[in-house]
Amino acid sequence: MRFDFVEPVIFFVLAFGVIGAGAAVVLLNRITASALLMALSFLCMAGMFVLLGAETIAAFQVLIYVGAITVLILFGVQFTKQGGDRSYALFFQKQYPLAAALVAAAAIPVFLFSFYFSAPAPQPGGGDIRPLATSIFTDFAFAFEVASVLLLAAMVGAIVLTARDEQEETARRRR
Amino acid sequence: MIALVWLIPAFPLAAFLINGLFGRRWLGHWTGVIASAAVGLSALLSIGVFLEVLGGKEQTVVELYRWIGVGDFSVNVAALVDPLSAVMLLVVSVVSFLIFVYSNGYMAHDPGFYRFFTWLSLFVFAMLILVMADNYLLMFVGWEGVGLCSYLLIGFWFERPEPYLAAKKAFLMNRIGDWGYTIGIITIFLVFNSMNFLDVFHRLEQGVAQGVLVVICLALFFGATGKSAQLPLYSWLPDAMEGPTPVSALIHAATMVTSGVYLVARSMPLFAAAGPSLEVVGVVGAVTAIFAATIALVQFDIKRVMAYSTVSQLGYMFLALGVGAPVAAIFHLATHAFFKALLFLGSGSVIHGLGGEQDMRKMGGLRRKMPVTFWTMLAAGGALAALPPLAGFWSKDEIVAAAFLNGHLVLYAIGIITAVLTAFYVTRALWMTFYGEPRDQHLFDHAHESPAVMTLPLILLGVGTVVLGIAIGFPPEQGFIHRFLGPVVEAAGGAEHAPELATILLLAVVSVGAGIVGIGIGVLMYVRHRPDPAAVARAAGPLYRLLVNKYYIDELYDHRIVEAARTIAGASWAFDIHIIDGLANRLGWALAISGQGLRRLQTGVVGNYALTIMAGLLLMLVAYGGYAAGIFGR
Amino acid sequence: MTIPLSFYIAVSAGLFFIGCAGVLVRRNAVVILMCVELMLNAANLALVAFSRRYGAIDERGSVFVIFVFVIAAAEVAVGLAIVLSAYRNRPVIDVDEIHQMKG
Repeated sequence: MRFDFVEPVIFFVLAFGVIGAGAAVVLLNRITASALLMALSFLCMAGMFVLLGAETIAAFQVLIYVGAITVLILFGVQFTKQGGDRSYALFFQKQYPLAAALVAAAAIPVFLFSFYFSAPAPQPGGGDIRPLATSIFTDFAFAFEVASVLLLAAMVGAIVLTARDEQEETARRRR
Repeated sequence: MIALVWLIPAFPLAAFLINGLFGRRWLGHWTGVIASAAVGLSALLSIGVFLEVLGGKEQTVVELYRWIGVGDFSVNVAALVDPLSAVMLLVVSVVSFLIFVYSNGYMAHDPGFYRFFTWLSLFVFAMLILVMADNYLLMFVGWEGVGLCSYLLIGFWFERPEPYLAAKKAFLMNRIGDWGYTIGIITIFLVFNSMNFLDVFHRLEQGVAQGVLVVICLALFFGATGKSAQLPLYSWLPDAMEGPTPVSALIHAATMVTSGVYLVARSMPLFAAAGPSLEVVGVVGAVTAIFAATIALVQFDIKRVMAYSTVSQLGYMFLALGVGAPVAAIFHLATHAFFKALLFLGSGSVIHGLGGEQDMRKMGGLRRKMPVTFWTMLAAGGALAALPPLAGFWSKDEIVAAAFLNGHLVLYAIGIITAVLTAFYVTRALWMTFYGEPRDQHLFDHAHESPAVMTLPLILLGVGTVVLGIAIGFPPEQGFIHRFLGPVVEAAGGAEHAPELATILLLAVVSVGAGIVGIGIGVLMYVRHRPDPAAVARAAGPLYRLLVNKYYIDELYDHRIVEAARTIAGASWAFDIHIIDGLANRLGWALAISGQGLRRLQTGVVGNYALTIMAGLLLMLVAYGGYAAGIFGR
Repeated sequence: MTIPLSFYIAVSAGLFFIGCAGVLVRRNAVVILMCVELMLNAANLALVAFSRRYGAIDERGSVFVIFVFVIAAAEVAVGLAIVLSAYRNRPVIDVDEIHQMKG
């Protein structure tokens, strides 16, 4: 039995997951639902990475996006919850028509253009971690260091931005 | 000694710096001593240089440093030491020294004492540079420098309006002349590819178009008329008498005003090769001489008389240059420096003794009260009237003789008539000051002779006035100065004439006769009152008024030229305010308005910003897509 | 049959523009951040897909993806810090209401 059909099926399932979850993020009113569906989108994305043969990338996707970033977003959602979800009138935004026009104008040609690319060679071949690691730590060592500095800066920035000072604390507590 | 020639201007420069920087607070009256000593040292060095040139070093170029070297254009700071510049150095430095010493006394009570010596030292420096330069550009530096110092010193007592107005007038008129000078030297460079005297004269021999040479010479001469107060740029000199008397003596009699004469004398090869230009020089000189002499006849301010006399005598020098006797011109320059400086200093002594009075109508009978001043001024006056054996006779006689012998009979006649007028007005001036009854008893009672520091230079100048002529100019045409200067200035311009003794004597007799006639008329009119000067003035009513008002030239200039300049200036100002400033203002306004408009983009709503980003992204996509698809070209 | 490259690119493009629309349309700041994450994901997908274009994975594409991860993480952290800090000031989460930087 030929299992050729497996790959396309999996692809379309995953694709549906990615796009659908993405659309849901944009369209849903309930933010918590949006956040969780975003996590689903990330998960399906990881699957697509596996399909393309980049397993390490898929692993990192799950770790970073589904793990850290989703948690962060959820925290953010919880901290900024208004008392009772107001239902946003999604379709009466100030710039909705213009935005829709722009996005459509851009999206459609690009979408059509993407079909221009031809088929890739078969056999992903896996085992991509060794070349990846070698590349990072030799050719792109400098960029790697810079990235770590960037993360440090982001950490420090986040802490500084959200630090409460003493007076404010006591004032709040007294209230 | 010639190698040290650059020390000659260095001493006055040092005096200028020391007095300028330290004079006000710390040096007090020592400024005068420092300045005088500096000029004295320069004078000694000049004597040394002169002796060395005399001893045979005919022409030396002492280079100080390479100043400009741009492609073809190369000008150095270098001195040309030859007989002509040696004579000028000597005259300038010796006369300057005597005037400096005199000024210590004259300016003793003036609060601006240190400032006076500062500017005067700077002036001597600039003048020395002028006569030492070996090229037109360096000479121009000195030229401008003396103009500047003239301005500073004329306007010395700037608290009153007249001095600074006069200073402005002097400077502006000089400037107009300088325009001519600049055109001249630029053309020289274009034609000869060098500004160096020796280079230019050398290349002249290879032949240059006549027309260009005439342009150059006339332009240079125009500059000379500004500096040496000839028509049409002369009217600043009488006004310049607002400055202190030593300034008038030094700058406006002996040195700065002679720089025009020096310029033409130095450029004689150029002038001689450009035929008509010498004629112009001679005619302008002669006309100026008689013109100024007529005005001097009726002036009442003793310094004004001397000022117009200077203009007139400078006219004689240019006349000499024009008729082909440059040696005579320089000779007269030297003798004139002495006796005119003496006349001015003597006038200063009189003014000082009378506590500041300059109007001769208030003087009289001073000869007993100020004997030294009187006798020295008498000698100088005689020299001015060209009485033998005083210095003025030898030089002036030679000038008119040269005019006659070279066929310029009209100019000769003008020269003789002017000599008569000169003798007359100097007699008048001296008589009104020193003889007769005192017209203002109060002034007369307080009059006193000047201190020794002032009378000593008068005596020394007097000695020079008496002996200089004979010493260097006798016998006529073959005297020391002719042998000395001849080769330098007569190189291409000397006219050949070997007159007979009889002709020379005849001409001399006529010259002396003219002088005696003038003195005689003066004596008749003022001593014997036949005819009475007041009656003559009344009889010649309109003519008299014309002369007293200096032919209304100043009014003419003001009405025509200055008004025109003001109109142009007004137009320029309007253009500047409305168009240029308007442009700048409108530009600023436009920017401000566009800024206001652009401000509306900053709505503060993040969503709008995001939208703009997306729009930009879309634009980029379109551009890239179009480029890739070949729509926008490769 | 193997999935042609173009399909992956199409998915990436679609996701990217969905995220785009979300950024422009939604008013809740945190949701906007989520949509930005979607866009970054789409970019990652495109990168990996292209790096597979010529056979075995070209590691340089993957390296770039790693760096995109890093930057996305940093950006979420700082972005959320800013949102929370602003929220503490005034408890408004609607970006349309936050326009003190007007002018």
